[in-house]
Amino acid sequence: MEVGRTVPDGRAEAGPEDGRLEPLACGRDAADVWDHAVGGTLDAHERDCPHCRAAAADALGLDDVVHRMAAERPVPPPSVLDGVMRAVIDTVTAELRPQDLVPLDSPAGPARLSRPAAARVLRHVVDGMDGMRARSCRIEPAGSGAGGTNGADPFGVTVAMSVTARFGVDLASVTARVRQMVVAAGEQALGMPVRSVDIAVVDLWDEP
Amino acid sequence: MTPPVRLTVGDAVVARIAAATAREVPGVVALRPDLAQTLLGLAGSLLGDRPAGDALSAAGASAAVQQGRAEVALTLVTTLGHNTRDLSATVQRAVAARVRAETGLDAVVSVTIADVLLDAPQAERESTQSPQVPPPGSR
Amino acid sequence: MRTRGAREDVCPPPVPAAPQEPGPLPAERELDDTTLVVRAREGDVRAFSVLAQRHQAALYRLALRLVGNAADAEDALQESLLDAWRRLDRFRGDSAFTTWAYRIVTNRCLDLLRRRRATVSVEQVAEVAPERLAAPEAGAPEHAAEVDAGLAALRAALRTLPDDQRACFVLRELEGLGYAEIAEITGASETAVRGRLHRARRGLAEVMRSWR
Repeated sequence: MEVGRTVPDGRAEAGPEDGRLEPLACGRDAADVWDHAVGGTLDAHERDCPHCRAAAADALGLDDVVHRMAAERPVPPPSVLDGVMRAVIDTVTAELRPQDLVPLDSPAGPARLSRPAAARVLRHVVDGMDGMRARSCRIEPAGSGAGGTNGADPFGVTVAMSVTARFGVDLASVTARVRQMVVAAGEQALGMPVRSVDIAVVDLWDEP
Repeated sequence: MTPPVRLTVGDAVVARIAAATAREVPGVVALRPDLAQTLLGLAGSLLGDRPAGDALSAAGASAAVQQGRAEVALTLVTTLGHNTRDLSATVQRAVAARVRAETGLDAVVSVTIADVLLDAPQAERESTQSPQVPPPGSR
Repeated sequence: MRTRGAREDVCPPPVPAAPQEPGPLPAERELDDTTLVVRAREGDVRAFSVLAQRHQAALYRLALRLVGNAADAEDALQESLLDAWRRLDRFRGDSAFTTWAYRIVTNRCLDLLRRRRATVSVEQVAEVAPERLAAPEAGAPEHAAEVDAGLAALRAALRTLPDDQRACFVLRELEGLGYAEIAEITGASETAVRGRLHRARRGLAEVMRSWR
């Protein structure tokens, strides 16, 4: 199948014009013979032809040690991931920008809640429901219309969620329940009045 | 005749009082820079223009005292089980009351909740079982 | 630790020291890559940590085999993961997260090799190279004393390949990826990938033949 394949971009580095990488004297492509040798799919010609056998011998001679290398499982020291997460948390902490914060209706002064933290709480509530997993969770000021101001309802938010559901769950009733739970969690856990919830079911999964 | 005594309260004093008070409010797991410190070992580096030697800023509160008024900013972490809006109000009242008691200053306290832990750390578990107990400093 | 100074006379003893921030929940560790990517893109640091944790070993293997030593591989992995975090909002999900991450690591490593070649003079290479060759992938305990002479020879031979050939060989033969995915990772056409792989195989077979 590989023999005679076209070279879409006609790059010189691809080899001869017919797409073969290294034509052998017998007409076969050495690259194909290599693939067949390591794949254990040499045909009758390739097993007998001296040119093909030489190419296959190279492949098999290398194959063994390549397998040993592929079987190695070096792992990075924990310090690498620690360093990454430190730097990530560092930037997140240093860059809590106004748009990352939701205002809270505290009577005792200005109070704000991290939007990612609020989203994680709402996702957690959905994750806890049988047959449901939260994916996206976007929290926006309610009534943020043309002007972007919502003087009448400065603390209300709208929540847009995407979820995946286990195959077979009753989507209508379960999404109604998601809506309920999100509104309840917004009020009880966060003190963030959720005015509306949009739910998109974006995928289904099967129990493993 | 006693000469008049002028007492000046510095930003650092207010910040220190605010951080210490906020940390005592049930539901406050940590002030954010504490966490950063714990996780990063980079004390103070998150507070940009603050001098590095200012341990109080690194304690998670910053304060600016101007004309008899203190502006206090706190960034904190809580756990699920403490309503974030109510916790903010509780912290704000407790801090304002303590600052007034200790320094005589009126304080405007702004609170930012940077994280809500879903899995309460061990020390918090008992107190989350009875979240209805009013924290000290709440009215 | 933190200086507490005059704190004691102002306040009662404080609550115990700030606890460690709990990481992702067990349920979060089970989530599929797509869900984790979406969450991470919306600022969920823990979702990103699950992704990084899940794929770091494969990404590290790739880096290690491209750059040939543990110290550079660790640096490349760390910078790649940070890159991934920063650029996550530009990842549209047309390909798998792993393909995208492999691409970041590959580019980082090839950049590093290019920069090194550009800045290190010939004399320096002559001085540095023997040590590097003597201690390939230093730091990885399993190579502290290479008992498998064939593996050692292959490691040395890999280092002699042109970078683009080595990348194709490692992705195909050591990580087992298909031509289409390798093409996406390296930014070359599938045909070019096939060509590079073949030349890499040839070159390695040559070196290994003389070794045997």
